[in-house]
Amino acid sequence: MRRRAVSGALYATPAAVLVGLFFVVPLLLVVWMSLHRWPLLGKPRFNAPDNYTAVADHALLSSAAWFTVRYTVLITLLLFVVAFGLALLVQNRRPGVGFFRTAFFLPMAVGFASASLLFLGLLSEEIGPVPLTGDSPALGSAVLLVLWRFAGFNMLILLTGLQAIPVDVYEAARIDGATRWQMFRRITVPLMRPTIALVLTMMITGSLLAFDQFWILTRGGPDNSTTSLVMVIYREAFVRLDLGSAAGISVVLLVLLAVVSSVQLAVLRRRSA
Amino acid sequence: MSRWSYYVTGTALAILFLFPLVWSGWASVRTDTGFGAENYARLFSSANGIRAVHVLNSLIVSALTVTGTLIVATLAGYAFGRFRFPGRDVLFLLTLAILMVPYATILIALYVLLGWLGLQDSLVGLSLVLIVFQLPFSVFMMRNSFEAVPIELEESARVDGCSSFGTLVRIMLPAVRPGLVTVGLFAFLTSWSEFFAPLILLNSTGKFTAILAVVNMRTASHGSIDYAALEAGVVFMAVPCLVLFAFMQRSYVRGFTSGALKG
Amino acid sequence: MKAKLAAVALLLATAACGADEPGAADDGATLTLWTRAATEAVSKAYADAYNASHRNKIEVTAYPNEEYPAKLASAAGAKSLPDLFASDVVFAPQYAAQGLWADVSDQFKSLPFKDSVAPSHVRAGTWEGRNFAVPHTIDLSVLLYNKDLYVKAGLDPEKPPRTLREFAEHARKIDQLGGDVNGTYFGGNCGGCVEFTLWPSVWAAGGEVLEADGRSARVDSREMAEVFALYRDLYDQGVASPASKGEAGPTWLGALQGGKVGIAPGPSVWLDAIEAKGVKTGIAPIPGINGGESTFVGGDAIGIGATSGKTQQAWDFLAWTMSDEAQVEVIAKRKGVPVRTDLAANKHSSADPRLVTVNGLVAKGKTPYARNFNATFNDPQGPWLTTVRGALFGDATASLMAGNEAITKSLRQE
Repeated sequence: MRRRAVSGALYATPAAVLVGLFFVVPLLLVVWMSLHRWPLLGKPRFNAPDNYTAVADHALLSSAAWFTVRYTVLITLLLFVVAFGLALLVQNRRPGVGFFRTAFFLPMAVGFASASLLFLGLLSEEIGPVPLTGDSPALGSAVLLVLWRFAGFNMLILLTGLQAIPVDVYEAARIDGATRWQMFRRITVPLMRPTIALVLTMMITGSLLAFDQFWILTRGGPDNSTTSLVMVIYREAFVRLDLGSAAGISVVLLVLLAVVSSVQLAVLRRRSA
Repeated sequence: MSRWSYYVTGTALAILFLFPLVWSGWASVRTDTGFGAENYARLFSSANGIRAVHVLNSLIVSALTVTGTLIVATLAGYAFGRFRFPGRDVLFLLTLAILMVPYATILIALYVLLGWLGLQDSLVGLSLVLIVFQLPFSVFMMRNSFEAVPIELEESARVDGCSSFGTLVRIMLPAVRPGLVTVGLFAFLTSWSEFFAPLILLNSTGKFTAILAVVNMRTASHGSIDYAALEAGVVFMAVPCLVLFAFMQRSYVRGFTSGALKG
Repeated sequence: MKAKLAAVALLLATAACGADEPGAADDGATLTLWTRAATEAVSKAYADAYNASHRNKIEVTAYPNEEYPAKLASAAGAKSLPDLFASDVVFAPQYAAQGLWADVSDQFKSLPFKDSVAPSHVRAGTWEGRNFAVPHTIDLSVLLYNKDLYVKAGLDPEKPPRTLREFAEHARKIDQLGGDVNGTYFGGNCGGCVEFTLWPSVWAAGGEVLEADGRSARVDSREMAEVFALYRDLYDQGVASPASKGEAGPTWLGALQGGKVGIAPGPSVWLDAIEAKGVKTGIAPIPGINGGESTFVGGDAIGIGATSGKTQQAWDFLAWTMSDEAQVEVIAKRKGVPVRTDLAANKHSSADPRLVTVNGLVAKGKTPYARNFNATFNDPQGPWLTTVRGALFGDATASLMAGNEAITKSLRQE
C-alpha cells in the first residue's frame, strides 16, 4: 500500500507545485505585505498591526462591507430561486428539453468581461433596447447581469443533484399519499442538501468577491452605492498605492471567507458522509 | 406540470435568456444606414482595434491553458479520487481556497513571481496563472469523476497487470471523458475571455490577447463609447465559446452529472 | 517556506535598478513607452516622428484608461516599469512622490526653453523641488457652444459669454427653444469632469479650491459655493440636460456631438470631434461668476521609468518632444495645444484664430497639485465626488462643509 501512496503523491505533484508556487507563495507574500508599509518602490517598513487596526475605522470599507453583504444575500436568494426553478423545469427528459437547457446555460459561454460589456450596451441609453434609467439603476444592472450569466450554470449543478435521487423514493411517497409539496420538502430538499450546499458556497464566495460587474457597469457609483469590498481593495492598492493596506483588507476578507466556507463545507460533509 | 404550460414557460424563459445574445448580434451589424459589417471593420482596423496577432495570442494562451489544465487536473483528480497519501486533504482544501482570494490582491505578487521565473510579459507565464485559477473547478470535477468510476473496472485492469499509470490511460480516461470535456470547455472559456490577468501580466502590444483590444475599444476615444464596435467585439469574443457550448451540450451535462455530484 | 518568502521579499526590495550604460544618447536603443488609450494617438505621433529622424526606437503600448493606473502600479511593484511612461498630469505628484519616475532635474534645467514649458505641468511633475516629469499632451477646459443654436435662440454666435452668469443666461435662452434641445450639459457623476470644468470659474474669480501645498481643501469657499449654486439652478430648472446627473464621463462627448446642447464647458480637444459630426462650434474661455477667465491645464505628463536602464536615451526622446520641431510639426499640426507657451502662435494655429485663443490660455490656467489627487478627486470612491453630488443634487451647504473636511483628511492621508 505504501507504493500506492507514493504514486498518489506523484500524480498530485504537478498540482501541488502549481498551487504552491502560484498560490501559496503569493498568498504568504500578501500576508507579509500586510505587516508592512509597502511602497511600490523602495524599502518596506514593518508597521504591524497598523494595516489591521486601520481596517476597523475605514469609513468607505464599512459602507462597502454593508453593501457587499446585502448584495450577497440578494444575489444568493435570487440566483438560487431562479436556478432551482430552471432545474425543476428541465429535470425530466421530454422533447425539446435539450434546447431549453442549452438556452439557459448559453450565457455562461460569454466571458464575464464580455458579458459586462454586452450589458453596458444593452442597458445604455444610446443604443440599448432596455435603457435602465431612474435613480439607482446601477445595482439593478449588476443583478440582472449576474442572474443572466450564472443561472444556467447553477441550474446544471442542481440538475445533477435532482437526477441522482432514485425515482422509486418518489414512487413510494406517492403511494403513501404525499402531496407534491410534501415530496419536495421531505425528499427533494433533504436528499439534495450536499448539492445545495455546494451551490450556495459558490454563490456566496462569488458574491462576496464581486468586482468585475461593478467595475465595468457602475464604477461603484452612483454615490458609492455599488462599491464592493474588492473595489475598496483595488482602490487601496492601485489608486492610493498603499499595498500594505490592500493586503491587510484582503487577509481579513480571506479569513472571513474561509470561516463562512468551512461552516458550509462542514454541513456538506456531515450530510454526504 | 402540464405539457402546455411546460412549453410556454420554457419558451418564454428561453427567449429571455437568449435575448441579450441575439440583441448583441443584431446591434453589431446595425449601422447608421442600415445593416452591414462596418462595425466589424472598425473593430479590426481602428488604431487600437483587434489585430491578427492578438487573435493568435488568444489561441496560443487558450491551447496552453486547456492542455495544461487537462493534464494537471486529470493527474490530480486521479490522485485525489483513487489514492490515499499524506497531505492529500490539505492540498485539496488549498486548491479550493484559490476561489477565495480576490484577484486584485494576488496579482502584484504573481507579477513579481513571474519576473523571478523569467516569465514576465510571456504567454506561457499567463497560461500558468490561468491554469492555477482554473484548478479549483477542474480538480473538484475530476476528483468526483474518478470517484464515480466503478472500482471493479480498475481492479480488472490491475489483474491484467496494468501499472497505475497504465490503468489511468487505458481504463480510467475513457471512463471520465465527459468530465474531461467539461473541464476542457471551461478552461477554454476562461482563457479565451479572461481580461484582468492578461492586462496586468502582459506588457507589450505584440503579446496582447484579443479581449484587451476589445476593452480598449471601450475607452478609445474618451468621452464617448463606440457601442456598435464594442458589441461587435463582444460577439467576436463570444461566438467561438457559444458554438462550442451549444454543440457539446450533451457532453458537459454528462460531465456535470459525474463530476459535480459529490461534495 | 520561510526561505522562499525571504527570497521573494529580497527580490522585491533590491531587484532591477540597472546602472546606466555610458554612451551616446541616440545610440539605436529600443525604448518602451506606456500610455493610456486616450493619449495613444498623440504618443504614437511623437514616436513615429522621432523614430523617423533618430536611431533610437520608441515602442508605444497603450492600455485601457480605467485600468492604466493598476497596470503601472503592478509593474512598479515588480520593478519592471517601462523606459518611459505617461500619466494623467494630475496623478503626476503621486508618481513623483512614490519615486516611479527618475529624477530629471539637471537635464531639464539645461534646456534652453525651460522657462516656457507649460509651468503648471512642470510643477505637477515636481516633488520636493526635483523634476520628475515633463508635459506630454495638454488638454484645456473651455466653453464649447453650438453656433447654430445660438442663432436660433437670437444670440450672437460671435459673442460668447464673458461671465458665468451670462453663460447661464445664454443656456436658459437656448433651452427655451424647447424640444429635445438643452441649454447645457455637465458630468454630474464624474469627479474628474467637474473639477476640470468648474474649478476654472473659481480661479477666474480669484478663489482657490486647494492650498498650494496640496494638503488642505478650500471647497467650502464662497467662490466654489457660488459656482455650484449656479449649476445646481440650471439642473433644477431643467436647463441642464437631465442626463447630467448620471453622466460619469463615458457619454459626455456623445452628448455634445448630438448637436442638442447649447453651451457647455468641456475639453478643448473635442472641438474637432464635435465639428466632425457637423455641429458648428464656437470656443471661449471659462469665465468666473462676474468675469475673468481661467482654464484647467490637464493632459498627460511623461517621465522616465525609475527602473529603466536607458535614462540617457529616454531623455533624448523627452527633450526632443518639447523641441520647436516636435511641438510645431507634430502637436500643432494635428491641432493640439503646444506644451510651450512661446509656441502658442505658430504657422498651424494661425490658420484658426480659435486655436490661438486656446493656446494662449495655457499661461493663464492652473493644474492643481496634490500628492493624493487621484484618490481624493478623480477616483469615483474618493470624497470629492460625494461632495459634488451633495452640492449639486443634495444639501449643498452641509455637503461642502463636510466635504471640505473629508477632502482635507484624504489629502493628508499617508
